[in-house]
Amino acid sequence: MSNRTFTSLSQLRQKLLPWSLPITLLVLWQVAAQTGWLSSRVLPAPLDVLKAFWTLAVSGELWRHVLVSAQRALSGFAIGGGLGLLLGLATGSWKRVETLLDTTVQMIRNIPPLALIPLVILWFGIDETAKLFLVSLGVFFPVYINTFHGIRSVDAGLIEMGRAYGLRGWALYRDIILPGALPSILVGVRFSLGFMWVILIVAETISAQEGIGYMTMNAREFLMTDVVLVGILLYALLGKLADLLARTLERVWLQWHPNYQSR
Amino acid sequence: MYFSPEENSEVRAAERVINGAAVTLRGVGKTFGERRVLKGIDLDIRPGEFVAIVGRSGCGKSTLLRLLAGLDAASEGALKIDGSADDVRIMFQDARLLPWKRVIDNVSLGLAPAFRRRAREVLARVGLADRERDWPAQLSGGQRQRIALSRALVHSPRLLLLDEPLGALDALTRIEMQQLIESLWQEQGFTAILVTHDVQEAVALADRVLLIEDGAVALDLDIRLARPRERASTGFSAYEARILQRVLEAPPIEPSATSHDVRTSGIAHISFAI
Repeated sequence: MSNRTFTSLSQLRQKLLPWSLPITLLVLWQVAAQTGWLSSRVLPAPLDVLKAFWTLAVSGELWRHVLVSAQRALSGFAIGGGLGLLLGLATGSWKRVETLLDTTVQMIRNIPPLALIPLVILWFGIDETAKLFLVSLGVFFPVYINTFHGIRSVDAGLIEMGRAYGLRGWALYRDIILPGALPSILVGVRFSLGFMWVILIVAETISAQEGIGYMTMNAREFLMTDVVLVGILLYALLGKLADLLARTLERVWLQWHPNYQSR
Repeated sequence: MYFSPEENSEVRAAERVINGAAVTLRGVGKTFGERRVLKGIDLDIRPGEFVAIVGRSGCGKSTLLRLLAGLDAASEGALKIDGSADDVRIMFQDARLLPWKRVIDNVSLGLAPAFRRRAREVLARVGLADRERDWPAQLSGGQRQRIALSRALVHSPRLLLLDEPLGALDALTRIEMQQLIESLWQEQGFTAILVTHDVQEAVALADRVLLIEDGAVALDLDIRLARPRERASTGFSAYEARILQRVLEAPPIEPSATSHDVRTSGIAHISFAI
């Protein structure tokens, strides 16, 4: 009994350890802000940020912005990631499609999506389509490249074995090629989930009537540093959430993989 | 997995059901670019026969097996197996299990779900019934090869091709696996063709040992030893020494090399266990 308490206690300590540094920093920051050593124009006190967060949350304004941003991010991810997956599967599986498309894709890949902003504004104006386009474009390449690479690096011996055991067409794809490519595809997904927020932040700060980016830019105009900080922290939180999602997918789909086993 | 000592080889031979496929090769050759890896191979393998193919690395023995498995096409000649592609199964040197499928799903690869019970039976036969929910990564090399063996046997093949399947195993596991393969071959009566670089393994398992040299059959030797075979017996050593000597001998090949006239000093009837 006491032994169990002891292990759970040490487990708790293990869990808390990574948080000790951020918490210490927060406390230092609070003290610095309260003593006036740190101007609230530069950085408001953590408690003020919390208060701003609370006010925004209660008024419902916060959730409206978060919802709009999340919708943009996820639909952009669905479009860009989906296309990247399909195209990566196609170029990875058929040599002819690769010859046809890969050079073009590799050329476009080297253009930073954000460099296209002026052009995108000319094409789509400053409404939703422009943001969706930028996010889709940004997440497309990581998914595409990793899918392509994943398909190409499936163990040829396993494919040969599958053929020798009578697997053809879809069965070969379902049982061997797709699962073999999955670890690499998920790396692409995880990477693009991170990139998704980066693109969205920039797109939203340029022009928007709603969303977290709009909220922070608007607050900047009125020198509401605390709201700006709420926005930044929201991005961090949402980014962490996306990463958690990707990790969960890895744990579920790659449980056979020694590197991803939970124990 | 072990033979019971009182079991006698004559009884076994009488009981044995033969449902293996006959294999016929006429002038079979294989060329990769400029290199002729196999030239004019003529071969008749009887149904249910256990044939071992030995030879130095690069002699073309694995290529021959790949032709039989249909993984490569012959460049010349005719290759006939009396049966369909589904009657032929191959076991590779690396187990080639799918890491993302549990053991039971690996064994029933390519089977309809209705055959899962049969997969369980075969798994039990190789002694791994309790590991069916494990991932391949959790198994040892010998266990993986046993899974690969049951994956091949679940299809009830009439021709089982073995491409150095025990090459990467430690000595003890290897002898265990040889015994397992032999007893399954005796039970199921398939034709077996084993490619190996281990002459002792060839003599222990095969009815007939083929030596391939420079892409041609250099020696075709019947092993007339009763099963189970005692490795320490004089007869066994005589065969082993003879084949090994022939392997190490430098070409040119003597004309009488393909012979069946082996004098054996004695046939062992001693049972063995490891």
